[in-house]
Amino acid sequence: MTAAEGAEVAVASQPAARPTAQVRQAPTDLTLSFVDEATVRKVAAAAADPDWLLADRLAGLRGFEALPIESNRLYTPYVDLRNAHLSAVRPYPAGPTGGARGGAAAAAAGVGRLPEGAAAYAEFAEDRLTALVLSPEAREAGVVLETLASLAARDPGLLRSLLEGGCTLPENDKLGQMTRALWTHGLHLHVPDGVRLERPIVLRWAMGAPNGALLSRTIISIGDDAEASVVEEQVGSVSTAGASGPTNSAAIEPQSFFAGTTEVKLGAGSTLSFAGLQDFAANQVAFQHRSAVVGRGSTVRWALAQLGCRVIRSRIDNTLEGDGSSVEQAEIVFGSTDQLFDLTSYTRHIGRDTTGNLLSKGALSDRSRVYMKGLATIDLSAHGTDSYLGEFAMLLSKQARSVAIPSLEIDQPDCRRVAHASSVGPVDETQLFYLESRGLDPDEARKFIVLGYLEPVVARVPLAAAQDRLRDLLEAKWAARTGAAAHAAAGQPAAAVA
Amino acid sequence: MATSREIVSSEYKFGFHDDVDYLEQTAAGLTRGTVEAISRFKGEPQWMLDFRLHAYEHYLSRPMPRWGGDLGQIDFDKIVYYRKPSEGEEKSWDDVPDKIKKTFERLGIPEAERKFLAGVGAQYDSEVVYHSVREELSKIGVVFMGTDQGLKEYPDLFRKYFATVVPPEDNKFAALNSAVWSGGSFVYVPKGVEVPLPLQAYFRINAENTGQFERTLIIVDEGAKVHYIEGCTAPIYTTDALHAAVVEVIALPGSKVRYTTIQNWSNDVYNLVTKRAHAHAHATVEWIDANTGSRLTMKYPSIYLRGEGATAEVISVAVAGRGQHQDTGAKAIHLAPNTRSRIISKSISKDGGRTTYRGQLKVVPGATGVVASVRCDALLLDEGSRSDTYPYIDIQEDDTTMTHEATVGKISQDQVFYLMSRGLTENEATNLVVQGFLEVFTKELPMEYAIEFNRLVKLEMEGSLG
Repeated sequence: MTAAEGAEVAVASQPAARPTAQVRQAPTDLTLSFVDEATVRKVAAAAADPDWLLADRLAGLRGFEALPIESNRLYTPYVDLRNAHLSAVRPYPAGPTGGARGGAAAAAAGVGRLPEGAAAYAEFAEDRLTALVLSPEAREAGVVLETLASLAARDPGLLRSLLEGGCTLPENDKLGQMTRALWTHGLHLHVPDGVRLERPIVLRWAMGAPNGALLSRTIISIGDDAEASVVEEQVGSVSTAGASGPTNSAAIEPQSFFAGTTEVKLGAGSTLSFAGLQDFAANQVAFQHRSAVVGRGSTVRWALAQLGCRVIRSRIDNTLEGDGSSVEQAEIVFGSTDQLFDLTSYTRHIGRDTTGNLLSKGALSDRSRVYMKGLATIDLSAHGTDSYLGEFAMLLSKQARSVAIPSLEIDQPDCRRVAHASSVGPVDETQLFYLESRGLDPDEARKFIVLGYLEPVVARVPLAAAQDRLRDLLEAKWAARTGAAAHAAAGQPAAAVA
Repeated sequence: MATSREIVSSEYKFGFHDDVDYLEQTAAGLTRGTVEAISRFKGEPQWMLDFRLHAYEHYLSRPMPRWGGDLGQIDFDKIVYYRKPSEGEEKSWDDVPDKIKKTFERLGIPEAERKFLAGVGAQYDSEVVYHSVREELSKIGVVFMGTDQGLKEYPDLFRKYFATVVPPEDNKFAALNSAVWSGGSFVYVPKGVEVPLPLQAYFRINAENTGQFERTLIIVDEGAKVHYIEGCTAPIYTTDALHAAVVEVIALPGSKVRYTTIQNWSNDVYNLVTKRAHAHAHATVEWIDANTGSRLTMKYPSIYLRGEGATAEVISVAVAGRGQHQDTGAKAIHLAPNTRSRIISKSISKDGGRTTYRGQLKVVPGATGVVASVRCDALLLDEGSRSDTYPYIDIQEDDTTMTHEATVGKISQDQVFYLMSRGLTENEATNLVVQGFLEVFTKELPMEYAIEFNRLVKLEMEGSLG
């Protein structure tokens, strides 16, 4: 009878005798303690929100209160927030200018240094805007990169049209509605009609202060016949080598909380390539919401790497509205320690001849887990759809776990292709044998295979420096995984014993 | 694609029914008293009454499932939960009451028996009325009888295995079945015995608002081998009937069990079935499962691979036409090392019908060396029909080799065009393409069933146009 039953989540047991043992937390319990109307009103007052924005926040709060943590019943067995201990985190205060939502002054002045090869750069360290700068070319072309606070001051009507139309957060998502209610920081990126930017725009978020919480929105609008690429880096504010290190005591270590969005609207005939590198520290809990509404003949390309965080829950909504619109999505995960990667993507085909090409790949070591939940929906109007959804995992240790739920809901039979595929397996022994026969030691050979497996996504990152950084991060994570030493020892040739 | 769009379901072929005088039946609706009355009618031991009452309490406490199909139309208070058509078990065809016999004759059972069947247990409403086991089978110790009779004649064996695979707490409809079960087959195949021919049972609902809650228990001892077949037909009624069966299969070490179902309930039946098998070391369990009838079917034949080296195979076919929803799939739960599973699902949606594949593949820690594959293909024949695929793949052991593939498409116009150029009508060509799509299933059936199934699909596909 019950396909979903018996799918209970493995419990990471806590020693019962430990004096710091916490109140037992159910997998769906969200321990945030500040999400209430008083906080919403405080945030709105501090930011001097207009009435419509306060109303929007309160609508978000109502959504948050009414919704379960997972509103899609397909996925309810696969929710686990037990390693998110957020009762002590407090949101950074918002303010009309300067420090908080702001940096309006900084934005106007253009502070910070443009990274090599970038068209524009914005950086937040915790709640402080530490850089916001555009190249002269980008500025001349009419590209806008500003905080939402400066947008609110500059053109409140535009802010309202962006937040109320098109770029809204999913209405059935509790956590998305929470961000809608309580965001204090944010960025607005606009690429005007006909502008084709060769160099990428770099956005950087550095988080990790214990008990800090940052809720932010990033709104991206790309005009008609425009082209742009964005690299978004999310890193620990205190330098950490790829979320590694002992985590047995992490349950009582103060955590940091980040909720961020990427809300994209693409006009007709445009392209956006978005690379997201998430490498937050080991004490981070993050909720990401990314959405793209794609116009006629336009393409959005997501290349997403998930490396950091104790618990990361992400959701992507692709809406292929225009005829001939398409999404190319590739997401990789490299897990270690007891990290949980909870990744959902929804792709809805509405226009004619739309294309969805979605690929998720995970390499999981130690006790890390990935949930890959994908749903492609093909509406009755979506003649000529081409939809592919692939979810693949490589398990590198006995305790790692992979869950893949590649789902389809199809109302229109007239499709070019509708398919999904999934596979799970260990490192291929024949590949390993080949590499070892060429003189590589076993651990090195395994590393080649695993990093090669993830390389297709690395290669899609539009900025060379960011690509290199991602490769370095993957190598560092490979070296730092807890099981590394054991694997190296186990991989010693038997001849040593014989 | 005029053909497939214009396809109309023909008048239900086996939609006749007889007016039978029911000797004993409970009042419509379900109470604690109903459960006690059923047990009393049957003269059951106390433990079974206790079991039923426990299940009844659980049924009450359990919420209706909110996933899957629409269960809101079932009026549980109108259902008659038990009805007894004739006195006791019949050993010989001659003793079967005439009216009931006529129904079976129209279904062709005696001929089928004479031709090739090892045994026939035919279920008429809630009690097994006709049952015969070929002499040589009973000589070698094979038990094939109604489940009620099994409880009486083999109390120890029965109690040892009953509800061990599907406990009443498993889900709401398993609890309902456990409370009011009646009829079904009880099969025991002793150590090392290979049953040379398929065991076959016809099931039939034959009265308005009659729920059918049969319970089948199949125990296959070490090294034994058996093939069990059930096929269903039911008459048309305007109000909704409920079929909530439980099937438990225990495949002991080294045994081989194949369970074949052709489900063709009429389009007003809710078919909510729990089918599950335990495969012990080096045993093989195969579910061959076709669903063409019913308004809503929710059925996910499962295999728990409990012993090292066990093998599971599920071949599942679903056809959904107007007003139908086939929410079907399969589960393979790998609990032991070096186990293998293969799931193949084929579905066809047409005339606004909806098919849903819902499956689970799970490999628990410690189940090393697992090899598993899942393949789902769906055909959508027209606009307004719908196909969903929800596979759950949960792997917790690093040396698992798992592959999953799924495709959804329409009938290839190239193939239809080619066949038409060879002189077939569009209807015939379409039909042939569909039969080819389902061949992975039909080739697993005994010949007579393959013919019957192809005829069924043809009826479904062509309707009055055929």
